[in-house]
Amino acid sequence: MEKIILSSDQILIAPTPEKLLLKNSTSLTREEITRDLLPQKFGRKGMIWTITLIIIALIGAFAYYRQLRFGLIVTNMRDYVSWGIYISNFVFFVAISLVGSLITAILRLANVHWATPLTRIAEIIAVSAIVFASLIIVVDMGRPERFMNLVLHGRLQSPIMWDVIVICTYFFISLLLLYFPLLPDLKILIDLKQKTSGALNKLYRFQGSFWKGTKAQFRLSERSINMLCIVIIPVAFCIHTVTSWLFATTYRPGWDSTNFGAYFISGAFLVGAGAVVVAMFVFRKAYHFEKYITEMHFEKMGRVLVLLALLYLYFNVNEYLIPAFKMRKPEEAHLTELFAGSYAPLFWFAILVGMIIPIIILLFKKGRKPLPAFIAAVMVVIGAWFKRYLIVTPTLLHPFLPMQEVPASYHHYFPSWEEWAIAMGSLSGTLLIITFFARIYPIIPIHETIIENETAAEI
Amino acid sequence: MKQQQKFKTGKAPKIVALLILCFFINKMSVSAQDSAINEPSIDIRYFVNNNSAQYLLVRTRVKTGRKYKPLPNRQALVYLDSSTADNLIAKTVTNENGEAKIIISPTLKDIWNSSAKHSFTATLPASGKDAEVTASLDITKTKILIDTVNDGGTRTINVKVLMLSNNDWVPAKDVEMSIGVERNSSVLSAGSKETYTTDSAGVASVEFSRDSLPGDAKGNFVLAAKVENNELFGNLFVEKTVPWGIALKQDSGFFDQRTLWSTRFRTPFWLLFMAYSIMAGVWGTIVYLVFQIVKIKRLGDADATTPAIL
Repeated sequence: MEKIILSSDQILIAPTPEKLLLKNSTSLTREEITRDLLPQKFGRKGMIWTITLIIIALIGAFAYYRQLRFGLIVTNMRDYVSWGIYISNFVFFVAISLVGSLITAILRLANVHWATPLTRIAEIIAVSAIVFASLIIVVDMGRPERFMNLVLHGRLQSPIMWDVIVICTYFFISLLLLYFPLLPDLKILIDLKQKTSGALNKLYRFQGSFWKGTKAQFRLSERSINMLCIVIIPVAFCIHTVTSWLFATTYRPGWDSTNFGAYFISGAFLVGAGAVVVAMFVFRKAYHFEKYITEMHFEKMGRVLVLLALLYLYFNVNEYLIPAFKMRKPEEAHLTELFAGSYAPLFWFAILVGMIIPIIILLFKKGRKPLPAFIAAVMVVIGAWFKRYLIVTPTLLHPFLPMQEVPASYHHYFPSWEEWAIAMGSLSGTLLIITFFARIYPIIPIHETIIENETAAEI
Repeated sequence: MKQQQKFKTGKAPKIVALLILCFFINKMSVSAQDSAINEPSIDIRYFVNNNSAQYLLVRTRVKTGRKYKPLPNRQALVYLDSSTADNLIAKTVTNENGEAKIIISPTLKDIWNSSAKHSFTATLPASGKDAEVTASLDITKTKILIDTVNDGGTRTINVKVLMLSNNDWVPAKDVEMSIGVERNSSVLSAGSKETYTTDSAGVASVEFSRDSLPGDAKGNFVLAAKVENNELFGNLFVEKTVPWGIALKQDSGFFDQRTLWSTRFRTPFWLLFMAYSIMAGVWGTIVYLVFQIVKIKRLGDADATTPAIL
């Protein structure tokens, strides 16, 4: 990093010249960048997208009303499968939220500047995912009003308690990491009040009218962001490790593993990076960000995805090969069900579509072009969702003690329509937060882009 | 030598062929047995617990080859004395173990009180290729009483079995039963013998010889007498709580330890230290960063006239 002194009390932190990677960056003026990156009103497609998401979210809300009204009996969860699609969704959301720390913190601390346009996308994905991870846990409770009992009477020895603490912590850190870099952009938005509506301008003023862009303010902001980047990495690792411990501290076939923390973290990095590639492609298309999210970004993220997919595949081999080699009796039923039983199509789908096919696509240079990279990333995200389902449900159907004298329905699990609606509603809710955020705030940091552009021009 | 060679070259193939033939004949006979026609069966048993709760247990099975398998989700009809609609006790469906438990309905009270002896009939209706199967059971109404005597430190358990005959309760002799202490869903014999038989007075007595058995906190345990699959009376069970055991003192110290499985008030110190120090560190940083926002705000308010960078 090098500092560019503009005046006695103003300072810019600029990246080193070799890291400047904006396409034709020097040809862009401040005005052009600002105009390009300003939040835009929804077009026709944007309206259809938003309304569709709202409808799905409302159906989910209605299904949740039914669950509150009639109880958890509306779900297909029973004595054995007590963690169904909700907890699969929770693990999925927690996994996706890890991307905030990957893109923002790790790459920032490693002085990798090509990821600058992606940082805000990653952070809003992290914040929205963690919000719905928290909500879906409450949804899974038959009596949500008793959530406070966890705070009032919680045992610190319980991994559930650790999970609640670490999720709250991660949410606040992610929110701060989203807010600090937003301050200079808020000033730009306030200054351009003729381009923003009155209500939005009021919001911008409320959030950032105090930002004047002085040297002292930048110094404080930069220091705070660096601190956040350092703090968020262990917290992000904790959130997913603790989530894995919810399973691994329970003695059951498929969960009884010392490998679970690392296995979950590698999977979380993969699905998070996949989600960023999907979001990159969608925002690039929708807002015509070709000059800012370039093919180079897909090339680099494609490589990151391959590395993470290989890492996750390695952990999967570890996780399944060793128990399969030993084939202890209780594990045998569980593994046979996964490899060749009723869960086999889903299992092999998750392995092939979630890891192997994306690796094959992204290994080739042509595969790291925007469209193929997007397709591979979509496969990663879908595969990851089913992988979480496979981690949670089949294990619950294979307890150590045989299931005896229980209704036939207890031996199987397929979510009810209410469960599907709530799960899909929560996914829509996550996408709605991202959509509205991109409508209100610049999804690519304007200030940082201008600085990098001008630094490149000077050099 | 020649003979031996002759045997080797001449008889050996015949013996091998014979062995192979025997093997295949055996295999064919086994597979013929395995592919035998399915034979459904039903049986019925009668239970009385503590002389009050009577119930019936119907069990259905099918013999496939040489194995018996339960018949789940099959309808079974159970009648009292005669197979008429008025005497129907229950129309039930078997569970996944091919069994069904039936309580005798109070609506059959009059029929039940009309006689000291009754017969139960269980019918498994015809289904597909399976013909109707019926089983019946005759029982005589019985009472089983348990009493204890403590004579100078010698404890005796007296179990009396009475059967109803001409509206009178008369002693039932030669009834075999186990008498002892309820342990792990079974009866641990109170004396040296596995089972005891009632005499002509219908009484079976056992001297209690197990002095060192643990009881509950007050030293109580449950004595039980159990008659199983008696041809006349079915299955009878009676129990009585006696203070003959050694009072069990709970090791409360175990639960007072600071462990991972203790209550929230007994969290281990190392966990408290680790968790609170991590939380204090991280949340201290968050509070510090929020304070930085306040600081940035103050700087902005103070430098209202300073020109902005962008």
